[in-house]
Amino acid sequence: MATLSECLGELVRDVDGLFLFSPSGSYYERFADADVDQLVVVAAENSVGAETFVELPLQFDDVEDRVRFGIEGSMDRNLVEDGDVLACAAAIFDDDPDSLVRVRVNEAMRSGLYGLFMHSRADPGVVRDVVEVAIELGKKGQKGKPVGALFVVGDAGKVMNKSRPLSYNPFEKSHVHVGDPIVNVMLKEFSRLDGAFVVSDQGKIVSAYRYLEPSAEGVDIPKGLGARHMAGGAITRDTNAIAIVLSESDGMVRAFKGGNLVLELDPEEH
Amino acid sequence: MQGSAFDDLASRVPIRFWIAIAVLFVGLVVGLLVRWATRKLLHAMGVPGAIEGTTFDRTARSFGTSTVGILANLAGYFVLGVALSVAFAVTDIAYVQRLLDALASFIPQLFLAVLVLIIGVVLGDKVELFVAERFRGVKLPQISVVPTLAKYSVFYLTALIALGQVDVATGALLILLAAYVFALVFLGGIAFHQLLASGAAGTYLLLRQPYTIGDEIRVGETRGIVQEMDLFVTHVESDDEEFVLPNSKVFSDGFVRIRS
Repeated sequence: MATLSECLGELVRDVDGLFLFSPSGSYYERFADADVDQLVVVAAENSVGAETFVELPLQFDDVEDRVRFGIEGSMDRNLVEDGDVLACAAAIFDDDPDSLVRVRVNEAMRSGLYGLFMHSRADPGVVRDVVEVAIELGKKGQKGKPVGALFVVGDAGKVMNKSRPLSYNPFEKSHVHVGDPIVNVMLKEFSRLDGAFVVSDQGKIVSAYRYLEPSAEGVDIPKGLGARHMAGGAITRDTNAIAIVLSESDGMVRAFKGGNLVLELDPEEH
Repeated sequence: MQGSAFDDLASRVPIRFWIAIAVLFVGLVVGLLVRWATRKLLHAMGVPGAIEGTTFDRTARSFGTSTVGILANLAGYFVLGVALSVAFAVTDIAYVQRLLDALASFIPQLFLAVLVLIIGVVLGDKVELFVAERFRGVKLPQISVVPTLAKYSVFYLTALIALGQVDVATGALLILLAAYVFALVFLGGIAFHQLLASGAAGTYLLLRQPYTIGDEIRVGETRGIVQEMDLFVTHVESDDEEFVLPNSKVFSDGFVRIRS
């Protein structure tokens, strides 16, 4: 007969690293000297003063996304490598970690999620702000009706040259940055306009109402997504920008980089 | 018999003593009133919230009082002091009078000096907190010098004003202050002139936007697409090379907008 603790022991046998997701100070203290090669804290900010720390730009509700992001970030910094077995303590219901996940690291886990935030042309903070705006927009819609939106972030100069205006640019000679308090309201109003928002590397909203004209060759996005997603995906292949798309039909927020879909979020769950 | 004893006492004590006592009493009442009013006023102005967390306030609290309490008491004692001196003047006792003449001009100054000192110390602490708050995002250990420097600059000014109030010779300190301000302005001007020039040019560029993100421009030898523009610099990119041009250069060299 196996006991409960054996069941847990099975999970943590021979692990190479322990990942703590958003631990509280006391929780971290208890495991600070745990007998593992790598102790990595993955959280929004390093409030516990951990040595190895991966910043979580967004509180992913999906634990799989969270784990994936933490592992990708650690792979990126050569903290863990292909074949390592990790134990991840994460919180699903409570604020303190309440679940343990055993994962084996492999190269296929590099979905580009970490790269989307950390290695894009745009600042990580700007990417995060745009994703948050898109989530916010997806949650509330415009006057109760679902809206779609397309944000092209980074490499704005090139994007502007690969697109044309559909009408007058409401952001001309304005100096609005995503993350400014007024922006949520503003974007909600402008989201009824067709076309894409163009955001610069440092978060300045360069233009709305842009019709993107990338060449769509070799863009590999799931079938069934509409023209907005296709345009967003294609522009990220043609330029160094990333695209964050809020779908009007299914309300999902999707992010594209290098022509690939790297992130899919449901605003309702945030 | 009781009444006659009282009359006897009253007739022996000159009337001006009674006036003096009355003045003292009024002074006491007005002093208390002023203390109460000051406390109310400072609270209404939101002073306790504004100075919360400064070293002075924390020290005051560790002594069981607060900055507002100290200020209110000070105002009360000042009124009481005035009443006291008026009372002595009324009684017209010669030796007290001589002492008073000396004190009369000095006490208000001393009061002002103490007031200036308290305000200065609180202000200095507040300035330090404010500057430190502004620099919190900057993860540079040496930056902690700046808030301290700002604090002691305020302290220095305060001490100078307070000492000036009580007629202490501050000539040497003034010269030191002049040297400090001169160094700050002069060296700051030399150190920051590039940034200032770029900032001034950047203000124009941002307001007028003669070129914008996405335009192709040429500045001097540099030609490319504008990727980013802020107050100080313009990012121009061509063939995977991103030039960061100070706005002052854009202005001094002029720029060419390439129409395609």
